[in-house]
Amino acid sequence: MTEHRVATREDWLTARKELLKREKEHARQSDEIARRRQELPWVPIEKEYVFEANDGKKTLAELFDGRSQLLVYHFMFGFGLRVDQQNPGCTGCSFAADHFDGVIPHLNGRDVTLVSESIAPLEELRPYKERLGWKFPWVSSLGSDFKFDFGAAFTEEQRENGAEFNFRHVDHPAPQREGMSAFAIEDGVVHHTYSTYDRGVEALMGTFGFLDRAPAGRNDGAETWWRRHDEYGMP
Amino acid sequence: MTEHRVGTPEEWQAERDKLLAEEKELTRRGDELTKKRQELPWVPVEKEYAFETEEGTKTLADLFDGRSQLLIYHFMFGPTYEAGCPVCSSIADSIAPQVPHLEARDVTAMFVSRGPLEKLQSYRQRMGWDIGWASTVGSDFNRDIGFLHTEEELKPFLESGEIPLTVTQNAEMCDTDAAGYVAEGPGLSVYAMSDGTVYRTYVTTARGLEQPAMSFYGLLDRTPVGRNEPPDEPLWIRRHDEYQEAAR
Repeated sequence: MTEHRVATREDWLTARKELLKREKEHARQSDEIARRRQELPWVPIEKEYVFEANDGKKTLAELFDGRSQLLVYHFMFGFGLRVDQQNPGCTGCSFAADHFDGVIPHLNGRDVTLVSESIAPLEELRPYKERLGWKFPWVSSLGSDFKFDFGAAFTEEQRENGAEFNFRHVDHPAPQREGMSAFAIEDGVVHHTYSTYDRGVEALMGTFGFLDRAPAGRNDGAETWWRRHDEYGMP
Repeated sequence: MTEHRVGTPEEWQAERDKLLAEEKELTRRGDELTKKRQELPWVPVEKEYAFETEEGTKTLADLFDGRSQLLIYHFMFGPTYEAGCPVCSSIADSIAPQVPHLEARDVTAMFVSRGPLEKLQSYRQRMGWDIGWASTVGSDFNRDIGFLHTEEELKPFLESGEIPLTVTQNAEMCDTDAAGYVAEGPGLSVYAMSDGTVYRTYVTTARGLEQPAMSFYGLLDRTPVGRNEPPDEPLWIRRHDEYQEAAR
C-alpha cells in the first residue's frame, strides 16, 4: 500500500482543515474560470454540417433537439488507444463515455443536449454502442468537415506539415484526438462558444475526481490503466 | 438566452488562448491538491461499526470486499424518508457507472444510508443503479463523521423561519419533513486497509462533492449559460426519471 503517516483524529482534522481552505480556493478559482468561459464571444457558424443520426440526416442546428445549448463530444473511432477490428472505439473515449448516460437527464434539465460524434458509418457505431450498453445520442460525422473544423481530426496534409491542437502548434498531429465543443442556438443561428481538448475533458470524468480523493490516487505509472468497462479482468 | 458578444473566429481564438493558460493553471493546482490529499495522515478506525447488506451484517472491513481502498457516499435516505434525496440521486447517477473503473484501481465504491435496507433496495431498483448500498446499524457511523445532526442541533435552523426553498422542496420530494430531511448530511468518506487495520483517510461534503460526483456541473461550467442557479430560486435538480422539460 502507498506510503503514509498514521495520526490521531485531532492531527488529521488540523491537516484536513488546512487542505479544505485550499480546496475552497480552488473551487472559487474554478467558478471564476467558468464565468470567464461564459464571457467568450460567440462565433456564428456559417458552414453547413450534416450528420447521420438514427432517425436520418441532421444539421448541426437539429442536433440541439429543441434545446438552446449543445455539447458535442468528439469521440475517436477507428483510431485511438487499444483500437482494433473487434474494438473500434478508443479506450479513453469509451472511459469518458461511461460518464455520459448518468449526467444527460440533468443536462437536459438545464436545457443542454449532449451528443457524441465520430468519423465512422452509423452501422459501425451501433454495435459498439450496444456492446457497451450506452443510451446517449451518437451521430456519424463521416463525410463532414465537422471534426476537422473543430480541432479534433487532422487531414493527411496537416499530419504531414503540422496543425494546431489544443490551441498550439503540433508538428505531426494524430489523425484524431479527444475533445468537446459547445454551441448555442439563438434566432435559428448556431454559434460556437467553447472547445476543450486533452486534459480539458477530465472535467466530465468523475472517476478521476474520485481517484484524486482515494489514498493511492490515480496511480497512473507509465501505462494507461483504463480499459473498456467490459474488459477489466481479461488477459 | 444569456447576454453575450458575437465575435470573429480570430477574436474568439485570442480570448480562448488566454483562458486556456488559466485552465491549465487550475488543472495543475488540482494536481497539487491531490498530492496534498495523499499526504494527509491516516487515522485508524478503532470503533466497530455494523452494516446491513443484502449478504447479511458486515463490518467496515468487510465492506472493502477484498480491495484495499473504500469510497463511501453517505446518501441522504433517512429513516423517515420514503424516497432518496434528489440531489444525492443525481450524485448516484454519476457514481454508479464508474464502479468498474474504480474497482480496476482497487477501489470499492458504495452508498451508505440510515434508512432500512428494503427501502434502499427498492429505490435503487427504480433508479437502475448497479452499486452496493448498505444500511447502517444504529446511527454512530454517520454521526461520528458529522453526517447526522440531532434535533437539538437543528432547532435553531428549523425555528429560524428561514428554511431555504430547496430544503422544503427536497423534503417534500422525499415524503418527509424539513427536520427529517436535514437530519441527514451528504458526504464522501474514504478508507484504506493495511495489515488488517482500517484507516479513514479523507472526508468531504457540500461543494467538495461537485468535482468527483457531480460531473454535470463540470459540463454546465463549459456551456454558454453555465449553471444558472439564481439564489432566490429553489434548486433545479430532480431525480433522473422526474424531469419535466418545458414544452420543446
